[in-house]
Amino acid sequence: MIKIENLEKVYKTEEIETTALNGINLHVKEGEFVSIMGPSGCGKSTLLNVMGLLDKPESGSYQFGGTELLKLNDRERSNFRKRNMGFVFQNFNLIDELTVFENIELPLIYNKVAAAERKRLVNEIIERMNIVNRSGHFPQQLSGGQQQRVAVARALVTKPRLVLADEPTGNLDSSHGNEVMELLCELNEAGTTIVMVTHSSHDASFSNRIINLKDGHVISEKINKGRTEELI
Amino acid sequence: MFRLNLKIALRNLWKNKVASLINMTGLAIGLAACLMLLVYVLYEWNFDKHSKNAGSTYVTLTNIRDDSGKVMFTFDGTTTALGPLIKAGIPEVKYLCRTSYGSNSLIANKANSFKKQGRFAEPDFLKIFDFQFISGDPRTAMKQPKSVVLTESTARVLFGTADVLNKTVRYQDREDLSVTGVIRDLPDNSSNKFDFLMPWSFYELVDPGLKNLNWDNYSFITLVTLHPGADPAAVNKKLDVLIKKNRNITGPLQPYFFFPLSKMHLYGKFEEGKSVGGAIAQIWLYIALAGGILLIACVNFMNMATARSEKRAREVGIKKTIGATRSSLILQFLLESLILAFVSILLAIALVEAFLPAMNNLLGIRIDITYFNGYIWLGILAVLLFTGLAAGGYPAFYLSSFNPVQTLKRKVGRGSFSVRLRQILIVGQFCFTVLLIISTLIIYRQLQYIKNRPLGADTNALVEMPQEGQLYDKFELFKTNLLNSGAVSSVCQTSVSLVHHSSNFNGLEWPGITPQERSILFNQVATTYDFIQTNGLKLIMGRDFSKQYASDSAAVLVSAAAVKTMKLKDPLGKVLKVGGQQGTIIGVFQDYVWDSPYKSNTPLIVNFNKGYGGNITIKLKADRGLKEGMETVRRIARQINPAYPVEMNFVDNAYEEMMQKERKLGILSNLFGGLAIFISCLGLYGLVAYSAEQRTREFGVRKVLGASVLNLMQLLSVSFIKMIAIAIMIAVPVALYLMNTWLQNFEYHTGISWWIIALASAGTLVIAMLTLSFQAYKSAVANPADALKYE
Repeated sequence: MIKIENLEKVYKTEEIETTALNGINLHVKEGEFVSIMGPSGCGKSTLLNVMGLLDKPESGSYQFGGTELLKLNDRERSNFRKRNMGFVFQNFNLIDELTVFENIELPLIYNKVAAAERKRLVNEIIERMNIVNRSGHFPQQLSGGQQQRVAVARALVTKPRLVLADEPTGNLDSSHGNEVMELLCELNEAGTTIVMVTHSSHDASFSNRIINLKDGHVISEKINKGRTEELI
Repeated sequence: MFRLNLKIALRNLWKNKVASLINMTGLAIGLAACLMLLVYVLYEWNFDKHSKNAGSTYVTLTNIRDDSGKVMFTFDGTTTALGPLIKAGIPEVKYLCRTSYGSNSLIANKANSFKKQGRFAEPDFLKIFDFQFISGDPRTAMKQPKSVVLTESTARVLFGTADVLNKTVRYQDREDLSVTGVIRDLPDNSSNKFDFLMPWSFYELVDPGLKNLNWDNYSFITLVTLHPGADPAAVNKKLDVLIKKNRNITGPLQPYFFFPLSKMHLYGKFEEGKSVGGAIAQIWLYIALAGGILLIACVNFMNMATARSEKRAREVGIKKTIGATRSSLILQFLLESLILAFVSILLAIALVEAFLPAMNNLLGIRIDITYFNGYIWLGILAVLLFTGLAAGGYPAFYLSSFNPVQTLKRKVGRGSFSVRLRQILIVGQFCFTVLLIISTLIIYRQLQYIKNRPLGADTNALVEMPQEGQLYDKFELFKTNLLNSGAVSSVCQTSVSLVHHSSNFNGLEWPGITPQERSILFNQVATTYDFIQTNGLKLIMGRDFSKQYASDSAAVLVSAAAVKTMKLKDPLGKVLKVGGQQGTIIGVFQDYVWDSPYKSNTPLIVNFNKGYGGNITIKLKADRGLKEGMETVRRIARQINPAYPVEMNFVDNAYEEMMQKERKLGILSNLFGGLAIFISCLGLYGLVAYSAEQRTREFGVRKVLGASVLNLMQLLSVSFIKMIAIAIMIAVPVALYLMNTWLQNFEYHTGISWWIIALASAGTLVIAMLTLSFQAYKSAVANPADALKYE
C-alpha cells in the first residue's frame, strides 16, 4: 500500500544542516503493523511526520495506494490526510476545551459527515473503546490511559486506512501502555494498517515488522515471527 | 463545525475568566467612554445646524477699533440702523431680521407668572429658522405688534397644555399679548434660544426710542439668510463698500461683516477681525481624547487576544492534523474575536445608556441617545470590524500558517513579531496615559489658578436680583426696608450685574486727551449710592457716592485701569465728558474681575444715574444666616413688587459660571483621563497575568534552584517597567509642548512646574508597578511543585 523511495529530509539552521532522512526506502503492505525504532535523533519521528503529510521532504517519492503524495498541494494533502489517516500522539493532543465526545466527533466534522451519522459513529467507537461513561468529560478529567484511548478513538472514527502512532505509550505507565498496545493490535487484526514509532522493544514486539533507523538510514529490518505466525 | 468552534471559543473564554473579563470590560469601557465623548462632540458640532437654511444663514459681526485703527474686538452686537441699510443695499440677502439679545422677562397667564427667556425679532426670524409650528401660521404669527409665539414647554408651563392659540398672556405685567403660534422646543444646542418670541413692532412700542435708527447702540443682533448661490465673499465685499460709503469710513478695515451662524459657536474667537478658532480647539481635544481611549482599549484587546492565541497553537496543530483547512481556522479565529468585540460593544452601549444622564448632569447639558445617528452606528460598526479583525487577524493568519508539526512541538511559543508589536503597543498606550495625566494635572492647576486669582470684590454673602416692576420706582423704599430688617448690611442699584458688564462705549474725553484716544473703548456701569461698599471694592483714593454731596449726581468713579489708560497723574477732581454730559472723578477703585477671569478688562467708568437700573445687589449679614437673610429679602420684595417672582443669585455662583467651559474641560479630562489610566492598567494586568502563566514552569524550576520571590518578581516586571519608562520619556516632551500651547490661550495662566512632570511619571510607574507586583507576587509565591507537575 505504501511505497517510499529515496526519501530525503534536511533540517537547516543558520550554522548547521542536519540530515534527518537520508535516502529512505520503505514498503508497507495493507494490514501490516510496522514499528520504527532507533536512537533519539535518528529521524524516526520525521519519517512518521512525512508519512502523515505533516512535513515535506526535500526529495524522493511517497506513493500511497498508487498515488504519488509528494506532488499534492497543501489543500490536497489536507484532504488526503483527513480521509485516509489517523494520528495517535505521545502527548495525546486532545483539545482541552472539547469533551470526549466532541473531540472524537471533530474529524468527522472536517470530513463533512452528517450530524446523525456522526453521532452513530462516535457512539459506536466510544462503546468499542470502553469509555461510554466518560463521553461528557473533558480531557483533564481523565487518566493518561483513558486520554490515549480517546485519542485512539479519534484516530479511528473516520475509519482510516493508515494509523500513524508516535510513541503512543510514552506518557503511560506499563499497565496503561499495554492496554493501548492491545487496542492497536485489535485494530490491526481488524484490518487497519499501523505505523508506529517507539523506543520500547516491548511495544515493538506487538508489531509484525520492526525497522531500525540510524542517522536517517534504515539499518536493519526484522520480521517479528511470533506475531506474524500468530497472524497466520 | 460552527457550533463546535463556538463551543471552543466560549469554553476558552470561560476557562480564562479573568482574562476574558478584562478583555471585554476593557474594550466596553473604552468604547463607552469614546461614544460618550463623541455624542458630546456631535452635540457641540451640530450647534445651530438644525434649520434648513443653516448653511446660508449669517450673523453680522462688528469690528470695534481702538485708537490706532486696529481691531480691538469683534462681536455680534449691531445697531438698529444697520439692518435697513443692508436690506436696501444688498439684493443677495433673502431674509434679514434684527433681534434683541434675549432677556429674562415676566410672562403670565393670569396669576400664573414666570420669568422666561423672551426675545424680540423681525418676522423674517421665523423664515430663517423654520421652527416647527404646532399651531399658528409662521407667515402671520408676527404681523400684529401685540402677539407672541410660545415654545411648547412655555405653553405647558403657563397653561398646562400646548393648545393655546389666541389665548392671552401678560408681558412684564404691562401688556397683554395674543398667542399667535406655538412651536416645538428649540434644540438645546441653538444659540438663538428663547422661551417666547415677540415681534419687533412690539419692541418699538415698549421702547419707542428704537424707531429712530441709530449707529451708537450695539445691543441688537442682525441675522441674514443669503439667496441660494450667492457668494458670501462677494456679498461681504459689497457690505464693506456699502457701509463705508454710507458712513464715510475710510481705511482697509471692514467695520461689519457676515459670518456663518453655524460656525459662531465653535469658531467664535476673533483676532483682528478674523476667526482664529475658539471652542473648536476643545472639540478637537475631545476627539483626540475619544480616539486615544478607544485606541488604548483596542490595543488591550488585541494584546490579550494575540497573547492568548499563542497558547492555542496546539489546538491549531491538532485540528490541522485531523483535517482542518487553513481557511476554516482563519474563519474560526476571526469569528471568535468578532463575537467578543460584538459583546463588548453591546456592553458599551448599555454603559452609555446608563451613564449619559450622569454626564448630562455633570456638564449641565441635555443629550440623549437619539443623538446616535447613522454616522455613529457606522462608526461603531467600523470599530467592531477593526478591533475584531485586528485582534483576530494575528492568530487567524499567523498561527494557521504554521506547519502542524511545529505547532504541536510548541515551537511557536512566542512569535518574536507579536512580542515586538505588543511592546510597541504597550509603549504607545502608556505614552497616551502619561500625556493624559500631565494634561489633567495642568488643566486642574490652571483652573485653580484662575479660581484663586483675587476677584477684587468681596462676593461673600453677596446676592443679586433683577430690578423690575415696582422695584424701579420704589427702590429707595425697598432699600430702607431691607436695611431696617437687620438682615442686610448694604444695598445698591446698578445698570448691570457685577459679573457681566457689556456696556462698551467710546468717545470719552478727559483733560489731555489726544485725538486718536477718542476711540478708546470704555465700559460703564450706572449706579446710585453704596456701590463700593456693597460690592466690597477697594478704594485707592477718593470716596464712594454719598448723599451728603448733592453734586454727586454729576460725579464718576473710575477704575485703576481707567486712570492708567487716561494717563491721569492726579485723577481726583478731573472732569470727564461724553456725549455732552460730564462727570467729575471723585474716587478711584482697584480693578475687579468681570466677564472673563482669564483676561484683563477694559477700563471702567462708574457714573451716577438714578434712572438707569436693572440690577440690585444686596450684601447679606452672613452671621445672621444666609437662608434667613434671603427669606427676609424675598418677603420684602414681594410686599413691594407682588407681580414678580423673586429671583436671587449668589454672585459667587455667577463667577463660577464664568468658568463653565474650562470646568467642563476639567471634568471631562479628569474623568476620561482616569478611565484611560484604568483601562491601561487593566491591560497591563492582563498581560502580566498571561506572561506569568506562560512561565509557570520556568518559575517552578527557578524556585527549585533557589530563586527568591523578589528575584522572580523582578524577572516578570522589569521588561514592563522598561516599556513604561520609554513611554514616559516620549510622552513628557509632547505633553509639555501641547500644554504650553494650551496655556498660551489665557492671558493669566499658571506655569508648568517640574513637579507635575515628576508626579505624573512617578504616579504612572507606581500604578503600573502595583498592578505588576500583585500578579508577579501571586505567581512567585506559588508552590513550585504545582508548577512542575503541570504536564
